[in-house]
Amino acid sequence: MDDFFKLDGITVQFGGLVAVHRFSLHLEEGERVGLIGPNGAGKTTVFNIVSGFLAPGSGKVYWKGNDITGRPVHEITRLGIARTFQNIRLFPDMTVLENVMVSFHHKLRSHFWQAMFGLPSYRREESLLKSEAMTYLEELGLSHLSAERAGSLPYGQQRRLEIARALAIRPGLLLLDEPVAGMNPSESLETAQLILDLQRKYPLTVFLIEHDMKFVMQLCERIKVLDYGHTIAEGTPAEIQQDPLVLKAYLGGACVC
Amino acid sequence: MDRDRLKIFLNGVTLVAVFLVLFAFSRYGTDYQVRILNNMAIFITLAVSYNLVNGYCGILHLGPNAFVAIGAYTSALLTMTPAEKQMNFIIQPIVWPLNVIEVPFVLSLLAAGLTATLFAFLISFPVFRVRGDYLAIVTLGFGEVVRVLCNALQNVTNGPLGLKGLSPCTNLWWTWGVAVLSMVVISRLIHSSYGRALKAIREDETAARAMGVDPFQHLLLAFLISAFFSGVAGGLLAHLITTISPTLFTFLLTFNLLIMIVVGGLGSTTGAVIGAMLFAWGGEALRIVEKPMDLGFVIIPGIPGMRMVIFSLLLMLVILFARRGIMGRSELNWEVILTRLDRLRRP
Amino acid sequence: MTSTIFLQQLINGVSLGSLYALVAIGYTMVYGILRLINFAHGDLLMVAAYTAIYGIAVFTLPWYVSFPLAVLFTGLTGILLDRAAYKPLRSAPRISLLISAIGASFLLENLALVVIGGVPKAFPRPEPFDRVVDLFGLRIQVLTIYTPIVTLVLLLALLYIVHRTKVGKAMRAASRDFETTRLMGINVDRIISVTFLLGSVLAAAGGIMWAMKYPQVNPFMGVFPGLKAFIAAVLGGIGNIMGAVIGGFLLGLGEILIVAAVPELAQFRDAFAFVLLVLVLLFRPTGIMGEPFTDKT
Repeated sequence: MDDFFKLDGITVQFGGLVAVHRFSLHLEEGERVGLIGPNGAGKTTVFNIVSGFLAPGSGKVYWKGNDITGRPVHEITRLGIARTFQNIRLFPDMTVLENVMVSFHHKLRSHFWQAMFGLPSYRREESLLKSEAMTYLEELGLSHLSAERAGSLPYGQQRRLEIARALAIRPGLLLLDEPVAGMNPSESLETAQLILDLQRKYPLTVFLIEHDMKFVMQLCERIKVLDYGHTIAEGTPAEIQQDPLVLKAYLGGACVC
Repeated sequence: MDRDRLKIFLNGVTLVAVFLVLFAFSRYGTDYQVRILNNMAIFITLAVSYNLVNGYCGILHLGPNAFVAIGAYTSALLTMTPAEKQMNFIIQPIVWPLNVIEVPFVLSLLAAGLTATLFAFLISFPVFRVRGDYLAIVTLGFGEVVRVLCNALQNVTNGPLGLKGLSPCTNLWWTWGVAVLSMVVISRLIHSSYGRALKAIREDETAARAMGVDPFQHLLLAFLISAFFSGVAGGLLAHLITTISPTLFTFLLTFNLLIMIVVGGLGSTTGAVIGAMLFAWGGEALRIVEKPMDLGFVIIPGIPGMRMVIFSLLLMLVILFARRGIMGRSELNWEVILTRLDRLRRP
Repeated sequence: MTSTIFLQQLINGVSLGSLYALVAIGYTMVYGILRLINFAHGDLLMVAAYTAIYGIAVFTLPWYVSFPLAVLFTGLTGILLDRAAYKPLRSAPRISLLISAIGASFLLENLALVVIGGVPKAFPRPEPFDRVVDLFGLRIQVLTIYTPIVTLVLLLALLYIVHRTKVGKAMRAASRDFETTRLMGINVDRIISVTFLLGSVLAAAGGIMWAMKYPQVNPFMGVFPGLKAFIAAVLGGIGNIMGAVIGGFLLGLGEILIVAAVPELAQFRDAFAFVLLVLVLLFRPTGIMGEPFTDKT
């Protein structure tokens, strides 16, 4: 059976501390799945496993039926798993356009010497990449800012640029680490709409971490709840809202919603 | 597009202008002027290729002196005649096959670049395992190891005695030819997708990896290209001053290159060129502080070492108070100049 | 190698190692707090040696006055170094800080060259350090024995300060988490100054003993001991005081014993430390006593 994406019994320890305990996840193509849990529950650790920043102590990661556990980050990205970061990580001193174009670099056909000597074949490819990058910027309403320094954009647009950059990888799976953190309700609503629009245009599976419960409940079809590295619940938004364990985890700890 | 044609035309005009200036100096210039121009071109090559690693990749590599040393020794050993080598190696005879090889200057330069590149490749694995201060100290260490080897391998480098009496093959055409080539090639690379990948690594290596960029592969590419041009420049240097010894290639050389690219602006190729030219000119101009000065009524004795005090102070002042140097990370090219002119015309 | 020669070399190695250890502690302490290789740290050896010479030769002070004065002066130089070259760059990119450190190192060396001149000066070794004693049938300079003892005393004093005083507690906090320490209302700049003072004082003690051991003082005398001491600090696990001490001893012993065992390697002695550095970084980047890195994104 070829699964689209599967995490199988992932366990991660930092020193003696178990950050994630036997975490399993199964994603169907085209799904929107949310991962929630109190601070320090191990959500970002799960993301770091999926994107290759961390190798799990035990457990396996499967992508389209292949075992990709422990592969380097850039290889995993090239296979079609792209991510954004919780605390925005753009290339601040590069332009908005350049930020997106970095994502095309891995599929560049020209060799470095073709670029060094400015051969026509390279120039053609470069202008092709430029126009492709502009389409992604248009998609996220950033095309008029293409020549700006990425670091000079306001917060909301930086978040969007991060999504544009990840989208330019042409991922099959898009990981969004707190995409609406720091946004007001109307901005989060816009972002939710944006994600739905993108999914209509591109074959995109979305796996996201978010603290904004309203956003997650509206957007995600399925939700997993982590607490102290353990999966305590899993199901549709309606099921999660009723789950006694979830209520206890949230009300017992600091209230996030 | 008109703009593109205009730029090609202007580039052509610049090249012709450089050619005419060089022609004039090679014909009518004094030896002193020609020497400064040669130094300038070699410094430009070195600074531009050093800046490719330090400015664009954002790492602090402290071993370019090793590349220059390897290039200088390689090309010197290849152009010397077997008889000259026999005369130089008085303590221990030179090893085979170096004792019989003699190749034309241009081939020796190519070999200088390639040997330096090979060395860079060999050390790249330990170097790029680490980042930041560690990378700095490891590359500094490799620079020192090469210096120690130059001193110790009597039958290859002639040890501390060095090599004397190289033929003075280097002239203005060679030095400036290589300088222009390195400028063009490296700035093309930087403005390409590869350059974007390098800058992405500099800005945020984690994010760059997440966008599919393999840091090792790209840092290695920059490192090797930098080593190649540094090696060629080393070969030019050897055949300019015609005498080389391990003391020429100490950390001081790296320090001087660091001053050039910091003053010019880390991460700007035009900045590196400006820095190198200022250094070549300023280094000569500052010689007066080390010579006795006769003011007519009183003679101020020269102070040896004063130049280096001034240079170190300059480096620190720039880093402390004007960290972007002269150019920052921007470039001065026809695109920029034309855009400025357009804006002036349409207020 | 006979056992007497081995014993002799062992003692030499311990003596050299304790000098590396003294200097390495300063590197490790500064790195622990600022994450900076203080390139100019090695040059403090030179500062101390010259001041001690001037105290004895020019001001005709007895050594027991001149040496402490030199140590004090070097300590203040260390603080000044931080204030002038590093403090303005606390929020700057790391590469700038490192370049400033390299600049400061060259500035100190060349200032010494301009002010004092490049001709090596002979260090006047005071009489109590000049004696030769019989130990286990070996004739050994007392200095070789004093060096590890002085190192041990200074180390104990340092450990007392770091672990038993309030300042030491703040230093340890700052090297754990600089920003949080600042937020806790601790004057981090004062802590950094104290760190530089302590590191420089140890380097000064090392510099004076180094100058007595190799009594040729020149403006660049600190470069190699400095680099090697830094490597010793990395070997032991940077940021860790005991690690620096262990690394220093290992490096000193290693250098002496390898050259004693294979004399042909003597000309490569200065390269040995760097090869060791590369090996450590390849196989155990955290050093002997270091804690494993946690990869946070």
